[in-house]
Order: sequence, then structure tokens, then C-alpha cells
Amino acid sequence: MFSAPDSYPIDLPTFHSEINLPYTLTPGRAAGTFLAEVKNRRIIASRFASGQVVAPAQDFSSTGGEEPEAFVEAPHTGVLTAFTRVDGQVIGFIRLDGCDNDFPHRILAELDDIAIGQRVEAEWDDSVEQSVLAIKGFRIAPDAPVGAVKALAGTEEPLGVIPYAMKLDYEHAYGPYYGRMFDEIRENGRFMGVRSPGSDVALLPPREIDDVTHSRTGTWKACADTGTIRGCSIINMEVYGQTRKVPYVYAEIVLDGASTRMIHVIEIDSLEEAKEKIKPGTRVRAVWTQGERKGRVSDIERFEVIEG
Amino acid sequence: MALSKVGVVATAQTEFRPAWNNAQHIDLISSVVTSVFKGSGLTIDDVDFIIDSGSDVLDGRSISNCGFLGALGAHHKEEARVEEDGLWAALYGVNKIRSGSSSVGLIVAYSKPSESNVDLYWNAQVEPFYQRPVGFGQRAANGIMAQRYLADSGLSSRDLADLVADRWAAAAASGKVSIDDLPDADAILAAKEGAAPLTELMFARPVDGAVAVLIAREDIARRVSRNPAFITGMGTSMDTHSVAAREAGRLSSAATAAAMAYRNAGWASADADIAEISGSSVIGELLAIEALGLAEAGKGLSAARDGKVAINRSGGALPADPIMATGLVRLAEASRQLSQPETSSGGTPRRAIVHGAGGVGMQNNCVFTLEV
Repeated sequence: MFSAPDSYPIDLPTFHSEINLPYTLTPGRAAGTFLAEVKNRRIIASRFASGQVVAPAQDFSSTGGEEPEAFVEAPHTGVLTAFTRVDGQVIGFIRLDGCDNDFPHRILAELDDIAIGQRVEAEWDDSVEQSVLAIKGFRIAPDAPVGAVKALAGTEEPLGVIPYAMKLDYEHAYGPYYGRMFDEIRENGRFMGVRSPGSDVALLPPREIDDVTHSRTGTWKACADTGTIRGCSIINMEVYGQTRKVPYVYAEIVLDGASTRMIHVIEIDSLEEAKEKIKPGTRVRAVWTQGERKGRVSDIERFEVIEG
Repeated sequence: MALSKVGVVATAQTEFRPAWNNAQHIDLISSVVTSVFKGSGLTIDDVDFIIDSGSDVLDGRSISNCGFLGALGAHHKEEARVEEDGLWAALYGVNKIRSGSSSVGLIVAYSKPSESNVDLYWNAQVEPFYQRPVGFGQRAANGIMAQRYLADSGLSSRDLADLVADRWAAAAASGKVSIDDLPDADAILAAKEGAAPLTELMFARPVDGAVAVLIAREDIARRVSRNPAFITGMGTSMDTHSVAAREAGRLSSAATAAAMAYRNAGWASADADIAEISGSSVIGELLAIEALGLAEAGKGLSAARDGKVAINRSGGALPADPIMATGLVRLAEASRQLSQPETSSGGTPRRAIVHGAGGVGMQNNCVFTLEV
């Protein structure tokens, strides 16, 4: 490791970032049927040509890949074959009576009270639909009679899609180079880059190694907050994740003193005027956000065209 | 025409820390990519291709390698990303050279799990309809593997803790892993429950860091490296996604991968001198040792601690698991132990087994054999 990242006297807090991804998951025929049938308190399983029964239902064998010949109804009782406890919740493998696979689910008992081979029985949760958690878990049931797999005359229509969301949180480190750049923005209201090897133009954002030559970059250099558009597009379509109202211009701007393009926006009132004035070669200046600077790219609210 | 032989020319790795708070991914990556050439006489200009491993989910950006190309030295070069442990990136690179299409390749893997939530990373890999809602994920998979292993082998939690303590002590002695408080077996047993019967310290500890491995065709490797380790066998195998449907008590995909690698190499596990093995938990490491043929089923512990083959002299994955880079670190460790035996006490080993794993409950396994 180069000494710089370790010893550089910057200790910025991390940069918090979130990713929120909405999904519509498609369970397919087997899982879709299982999830549609939990309201009838039926555990749908797949029966394969070999005679094997797998619960909950699968569209194909996870080991051989073949498709099942029919959906069947598995009993609500079985045997505990393995267990653990995660965050206080006991999770086990259950082999339902008449089935040939293990079903991972919650066990509604204390860890100290359970043992491999114990009889268990599904406990249902009436408040939950369209989820495997309609089975709240499996409770210990020593006297539960051994159930049997039953043929099914018909099943509910499989669920088509299931809304789902995934939220991921991050705390990104700035590192010594981005760290100083954002520090300079906050403290001094200026953009600092580092010189490309053997030249006087700055790379923005700054970095330890030049992307093109893979040699070490040079000394720090302040860039102006004026620059020239080198690429742009008028955004007039709303898309998920946008942070501004349309229309606006997405612009790649080379600040005076830098060699790299920085991405920012230019606000516009009129599409026609924007088409006329905003193009590669147009000179622009930063409009800083009013109030306290936070050390972010958003400390520049936008860029505006330098008239004349 | 026979396929060309491929040698490990040089390796570089950052220190592995619980968090590199003051360095970005690119800082860690450019550090190892710059360092790996030192003393080799080669430069980035000699590299024909770069293959990197990391996780978009851990990195918090999609196609994250796009932003790391400059740090990787990949500007205007052939670059490919392997979304698996770096040992698979090495497998890809070795095959590129063996095929005759290239001569020198750079393999890089990196990880910054400190920026993310490791439980969510694993959760994202779990089946979403039946398993994710009930909380079945990486920890539960390892807990169930452990519960079964202890029941079948007759081992106690104390036995597991003793092995974990050994691994941490070895990592501390290596100086390559940042360890503030070296835990002893008591501390490992007393740690918070991770997934019964495993405590948190019986799981591999996620750490930040990066590793680079420079590989080259035989003639180049012999010219630029004093005593290069050659890759003589490789195997890879993936088990079914459903943990519950896998063979209980055995990492069968690791056994398949190992058989493939030993067949290439023309020797058996007992002929190895050292082994560098991955494991998502102490049970994962024991199961891997057994799957690689280094011990009978249920007997991995004695092989792990004082078997004929020296296993995980680096400490292995338990004290330092840079997720997605762990297997490539094993390759780097093993090749250094073979090429520069004077830098690690333990005689002059000639043959090494290297193992990497990926997926929930070590679904996917990759095995290399190395020789000097």
C-alpha cells in the first residue's frame, strides 16, 4: 500500500448512500400456486415421475432438473431433521410426512427443547396471505399422527407477480483523494484536482494513479469554477430516480484548469432557447448553493451559461 | 500442441482490516496493482489482460468494475469481471494463457464489506419466495451444517473454538491481517451467538482489502521470477442452490472440484505439502478439508491442526475473509510459501492445494494445485 492513503491527515466521516430497488418478482407456476393456496391452508408440493414428492412445490427438481408430473397436497406434519438459531429465531429443516426433501422454516420452540427426529406440525397465521409465512412456523407435536400426501383435484390460479423491495445501506469511504477534494469544496469553496503525470492540467476527481498511463499523478491544483461544455443532453423525460424536475440539461463540463469532464446540470426555462445556446463549446459558470457548504457535489446547485 | 504451463510470477496484497475507512476501492486496488510489478521486471504494459473479482452488491454500484478500470490498469486493455471469488478469475486467466491467446495476465480481487451490510449481501443470494422470508440465509446454512457436523463427529464447541484460536494466532503472526485483540478459545466460545451452535467468531470475519496476482506463460515466468509456482491442476464445481437439497455432512461440489484438479496434476491430496483453504465458518473449513481428501468425513479437525499436510499456515479465511477475494488470497499465500519458503518457516514445500468457495453454504467450489 502506498503510504499516502494511510497517513494523509484526513478523517472524513463516511458517505451514506442507500439503494432502494423495487421489484415485481415472478414466482412461476409452482411457487405461485403454493403462495395462492396458503389461504386454503394447503401445502402444495410437486410429485415427480420417480415418485419423489418435494414440498414446497418446485417447477423443476433442484438436483435432476426434471419437471414434476403433478401438484399434490403435503400434510402439515413431519419430522425435524436439522436446526440452528439465528438472531434468536430457531430455524430448522422439516421433512414433511411422505415427502423426500427438507423444508427450511421457523421452529416455534426454544432451542433447548428441540431434538433431531422430533415430530412437528405447522402452525398457521391467519393474518398473512400470499407468503410462506402464512405458515407461522412448525411447533413441536410429539403426538401428531403421521400424515399422507394427497392428490389434488384442482388448485388456485398461481400468483402472477409479487411486489418486493430491497433496500441496501452503504457507508462509503472517501479515501485520501476524494477526501481532500470534498474537504476543499466545503472549507474553501474550490475544486482541487491532481495534475496528470508530466502535465499541468488537473484530473477531477483526483486520484493516486492516472487511469491512462497507470503512473502516479502529480501535485494538487485548484481549478476554476468556470468551464466549457464538452457534451450535453436536454433531459425532458421523467425516469425513476431523478432528483430534479424536467426539463434540464445534463452536461459534461471541463472546468478551466482540468482535463476531465465533470457531470452536472444546467437549469433551463425554454427548450428552444436551450437548444440554441447550450452545446459543446458553451462557456458556463458554477452557481453555488446558498448557505453552509456541506462538502458535496451538490454544493454547486447548477451551472449557468456565461452570456456574451 | 500441448497447452502452455502457467506460473505465478508475483503477488501483492494490502493489509486486511475490519475497515479501511480512509481508502476507497480504487485506492486499495491501485495499491496492489502498482506493487505487484515490483521486482518482476514487468510493467503494466506487458499485461495482455486483466480479470477482476468483486461484488456489485457489496460495492453499492452496478457494474462496479467500470469505475475501477483506471486503478486496475485496464485502460484500453482486455478486461473481464468475474462475479465470483477471485480464484475463478484466476481460473479464467490461466485458461486464457493455456489456450495460447495471451502471455501475461493480471488477476485482481478486492472487497470492502465494511461499507455494506454483509447479512443483506448474503440475503440477496437466497431464494426469495420460500427461504428469504423465513430467515434462511448464510448464517442459518452454516449453523445447520455445524449442528449436523457436531452431532455426527462427536466434536464439541470447544474443539471448534480451539481451531479458530489457532487460525487467528497464525494470522496475527503473519503480520498481514489487522487484529486488535487476539481472541483465545474462551473468547471465541463466549462471543455472541452467530447461528447456534456457532458463535460469531466461529464465522469467517469479513475484512477489507485487495490482492493482485500476476500470472504468465512458463518461459516468461521462469525468466522474470526466481522460483515461480506453476499451476498444474484446476477444478470447479457448483452444487444445487437449495442448501436443503445438498448432500448432508459433505461438500460434494468441493470434492468434485478437487478430483478434477488432482486428475490434472497427476497426484493425490496426500502428496501435497501445504494447503490454503477457504471456509465461511469453522465448519465450512472442516468440511472443505474433508472434501479435498485431506481427512476422512468427520475427522477434519486433527488434519486441520497437525496433519501431514500443513493447512492454512496463513490463518486462512476465518480471521480474514475479504469476500470475493478470499480464494485468490489463498492462491497468493500458497504461491509465496512455495516460491519463497525462506519467508515462512515450514521447510521447503513443493506442492500446494488451494481452495476457494462462493455462495450460500459454500455452494460453489474451486480447487487449484500448485507446484515448484
